[in-house]
Amino acid sequence: MSARNPGTELDLSWISKVQVNQPAVLRRAEQIQARRTVKKEWQAAWLLKAVTFIDLTTLSGDDTYSNVKRLCYKAKYPIREDLLKALNMHDKGITTAAVCVYPARVSDAVKALKASGCDIPVASVATGFPSGQTHLKTRLEEIKLAVEDGATEIDVVINRTLVLTGQWEGSDFIKTSTGKETVNATFPVAIVMLRAIRDFFWKTGNKIGFKPAGGIRTAKDSLAWLSLVKEELGDEWLKPELFRIGASALLLDIERQIYHHVTGRYAAYRDLPMS
Amino acid sequence: MLARGRGRRVLRLDHDLLQPALCSGEGGSTLWTSRFPWAERPADGGKWSGLVMAATRAESRAREIFTTLEYGPVPESHACVLAWLDTQDRCLGHYVDGKWLKPEHRDSLPCQDPVTGEHLASCLQAQPEDVAAAAEAARTALESWSGLPGASRAQHLTRLAKMIQKHQRLLWTLESLVTGRAVREVRDRDIPLALQLLQYHAIQAHSQEEALAGWEPMGVVGLILPPTFSLLEMMWRICPALAVGCTVVVLVPPASPTPLLLAQLAGELGPFPGILNVLSGPTSLVPVLAGQPGVQKVAFCGSVEEGRVLQRTLAGVGPELGLALGAESLLLLTEAADVDSAVEGVVDAAWSDRSPGGLRLLVQESVWEETMRRLQARMERLRGGRGLDGAVDMGTRGAAARDLAQHYVREAQSQGAQVFQAGDVPSDSPFFPPTLVSDLPPAAPGTQAEVPWPVVVASPFRTAKEALAMANGTPRGGSASVWSERLGQALELGYGLQVGTVWVNAHGLRDPAVPTGGCRESGSSRHGGLDGLYEYLRPSGTPARLPYRSENLNYETFGLAVPSTLPAGPETGPSPAPPYGLFVAGRFQAPGARSSRPIQDSQGKLHGYVAEGGAKDVRGAVEAAHQAAPGWVGQSPGARAALLWALAAALERREPTLALRLERHGVEPKAAKAEVKLSVRRLRDWGARAQAQNHSLQVAELRGPVLRLREPLGVLGVVCPDERPLLAFMSLLAPTLALGNTVVLVPSRTCPIPALDVCQDMATLLPAGVVNVVTGDQDHLARCLALHQDVQALWYFGSAQGSQFSEWASAGNLKPVWVSRGCPRAWEQEAAGAGPELELRAARTKALWLPMGD
Repeated sequence: MSARNPGTELDLSWISKVQVNQPAVLRRAEQIQARRTVKKEWQAAWLLKAVTFIDLTTLSGDDTYSNVKRLCYKAKYPIREDLLKALNMHDKGITTAAVCVYPARVSDAVKALKASGCDIPVASVATGFPSGQTHLKTRLEEIKLAVEDGATEIDVVINRTLVLTGQWEGSDFIKTSTGKETVNATFPVAIVMLRAIRDFFWKTGNKIGFKPAGGIRTAKDSLAWLSLVKEELGDEWLKPELFRIGASALLLDIERQIYHHVTGRYAAYRDLPMS
Repeated sequence: MLARGRGRRVLRLDHDLLQPALCSGEGGSTLWTSRFPWAERPADGGKWSGLVMAATRAESRAREIFTTLEYGPVPESHACVLAWLDTQDRCLGHYVDGKWLKPEHRDSLPCQDPVTGEHLASCLQAQPEDVAAAAEAARTALESWSGLPGASRAQHLTRLAKMIQKHQRLLWTLESLVTGRAVREVRDRDIPLALQLLQYHAIQAHSQEEALAGWEPMGVVGLILPPTFSLLEMMWRICPALAVGCTVVVLVPPASPTPLLLAQLAGELGPFPGILNVLSGPTSLVPVLAGQPGVQKVAFCGSVEEGRVLQRTLAGVGPELGLALGAESLLLLTEAADVDSAVEGVVDAAWSDRSPGGLRLLVQESVWEETMRRLQARMERLRGGRGLDGAVDMGTRGAAARDLAQHYVREAQSQGAQVFQAGDVPSDSPFFPPTLVSDLPPAAPGTQAEVPWPVVVASPFRTAKEALAMANGTPRGGSASVWSERLGQALELGYGLQVGTVWVNAHGLRDPAVPTGGCRESGSSRHGGLDGLYEYLRPSGTPARLPYRSENLNYETFGLAVPSTLPAGPETGPSPAPPYGLFVAGRFQAPGARSSRPIQDSQGKLHGYVAEGGAKDVRGAVEAAHQAAPGWVGQSPGARAALLWALAAALERREPTLALRLERHGVEPKAAKAEVKLSVRRLRDWGARAQAQNHSLQVAELRGPVLRLREPLGVLGVVCPDERPLLAFMSLLAPTLALGNTVVLVPSRTCPIPALDVCQDMATLLPAGVVNVVTGDQDHLARCLALHQDVQALWYFGSAQGSQFSEWASAGNLKPVWVSRGCPRAWEQEAAGAGPELELRAARTKALWLPMGD
């Protein structure tokens, strides 16, 4: 995680001055996806980079130690070794940025990662995820317990009741959505958030991170997200300290694309290790 | 910090890049540049190749790219284009009557890849006999094509759309390759729009008999295209022309093969080969094309100066001239705007391959700093390179466009302007970087010149009112966008801008159903929507336009001198005596020359004297009309209708006097009465039509309406014919007033007195200055009006020579000009005297785009 956001005096005039024209933002979202594309070596390198931004996530009611362990192993070895070797990238230590689990599974994840001898951070959703509609006291307690179990990053669901009534909260990272909503990470929303991050940086010099989550399933999607961040914020945001992609199925599709890039053939799912 | 070597420049965007580097520029001003990943030169120092060449060095670069996360080349192959050119043995001729025409002994010009200089083909240049062959083919095809039912033409256009769909890759690759524009823009925007245009116009053709009853196709249309947007500009014009039943001869600039390919696709559809003919040749052939028998309309698309020259050259030649000139656009950014989105608007308007020209950017002072910072940061992210690369924003427009931009920027610098350029492009490359010019002094000589692509000239404004004054302060009137989240302000600005298209919180949207065009020096032709169809139609029964040019007409001296007049005998006639003086600013005034001209009746007896108006009187009348204009435009259509009806009632009361006056000029008593009655009806009819001029359109890909506004032209000069002195006067006056214009009229030369009688009523009924009537020598007054730079349109109904002069002289401010070419008009008939043609000519269309969203 990046250096903490030291925060700033709440100045609501910043917010009241913000103007967002929805149709114009929708047009920009459409253009940005069509105007930037990467092919061949560039695509392979970008996809590997995307892997390093992934918060490899499992947020199911039936998560147990065994599937969390498998997830952690996949986080450490996200792409088949021989594929990385073919690209001369095997010594780059490519792992996902973090694993992301429910608070009750944090200790499982920490244990599994320790057993495999790697220091990938464990992120936990907390505070009444995904609705955030629990008491402040239990929300704080939930964070405390997750941290005690070894989580180093907490995805806090903000109290949207407060936001909708104009009472704001601050953070180090902002996330598009929980991934559990009917509509999750969309480009227009992301554009508005990225512009807010840039304005905050211009005003205070503090860099806030960005995490789209939910619905990012294909390698092509992930490339679009990378170029979106590159276009709106610049390369300095393209590092795991400031950019994450919350996803579970995405990694497998990236691996398939890398497989295709290296071998020239399309992979069957059984060719690649599951997470 | 600027890597100037021949090796690869790597784009690194770190924070300090947002602070521009300072280098010394010319003329003591400052040149701000920064890095920009433009097309690069290969290591061997060979030709400029764009990003494509980099592909050869791509292997095993994954490690490096993993660290830098730079973009790579996304090359598109142009093998299909080469294969197509090979079918023509790399020699392109003309496409006439469904066949390739390759005459011998013609000059040829090379068609090259603007980036690499690769020779693609040689293009034969047309000679006058080739133009004649093409015009003849179009004339022959016209008989069968215009005689078809609209539904059959619709089917043919649909087939053409399908044909384009089948060969779209070839089309987009060719267009991108030879014009240098980004292939993504051609593929994702131009081609779909071309298909939409065909579909839209097929529908219009299908319902033509019903929806456009009373109109007929003009005939053969000559179309002259610019080099850069030849495919789209061609589609915007051939679709409506073909839909309504015209046939077309297109003259494309040398080395523009896309229109030829399009003509081939159309020709291969079969039964109507001659409806679309394409010639490659210089613009010096335009007068030849215009002079071909059967050519009834010349549509020209190009620069303002070319248009002006053309208007002068074609005076009296015959065909109607439709001008679409200039490419500059305007963007008005208020403090209530979503600035980031507006910055994207600037990119769309100037720094993309979507925009034909440069941009004048007006920014409210309170958001100036913020806007400049965002613009500069955004410029850093633009990518330039070869058009056939799938991930570039801007290609090249060739050396000529680059030199034009270069010259403009140097000129601005020498006048003390600040110049920010994203990118350091060596001067021998065909590229020009996106450029932002600010602090250009308003009085500097370059400020009035058109801003070239890809340059943005930014100036601050303080209030919305000032913004409007600045925006309307150039002779051009193409398109503009307004950025404000305040609905009231956006509408105020949108209505106030004197341009053909206004987008609110968007820039550069197009749709086949929305009329697009300009006003003032941007030319007054329209394409798209109903207005676009009328460009190629004429009222049924209108005689063909034949040449009426008189070669010995001296433009310098025509109408210059006013013959002196002497007392002409005793005045006789009915009481009361006709009013004397010029009717200007709501009252009768003595003419500046203080002399009079006698008016004789049909027996040759003196009927009375009228004032001898001159240049100064016309000037005064135009000034009075301008003063009255804001008030008259501001009146609701209902209020204007009420005043016209009141005038009609007054005219009715005056019927006996007016009829007697007409009788003295040889009109039968019964006919005189009828003429007065019909004049009254004209006023009433146009009063009623003043309502319901505007309507809203619904277009694809946009939530929210597009308003089609009918706006008055401004101050109209009208020279009335000799025939039907009262009826023609009223038939011309009523529509101009109903649609909100103010007017300076020159009444009938032989019988001006009835018009002056009516002025007595106008003096009491209408606001002062709305109508001004100047009597005198018709040639002289027509000359004054035609040469007046602040008269917005001229209608001339008089001699052939006067018509030719009016066409020639109107080129000064490119005012729309409507002339009788010396032919009398059947004013008593509904179509000629009160038809929709008058309504079309008395107002201009503005499209106001209003996207909605929460």
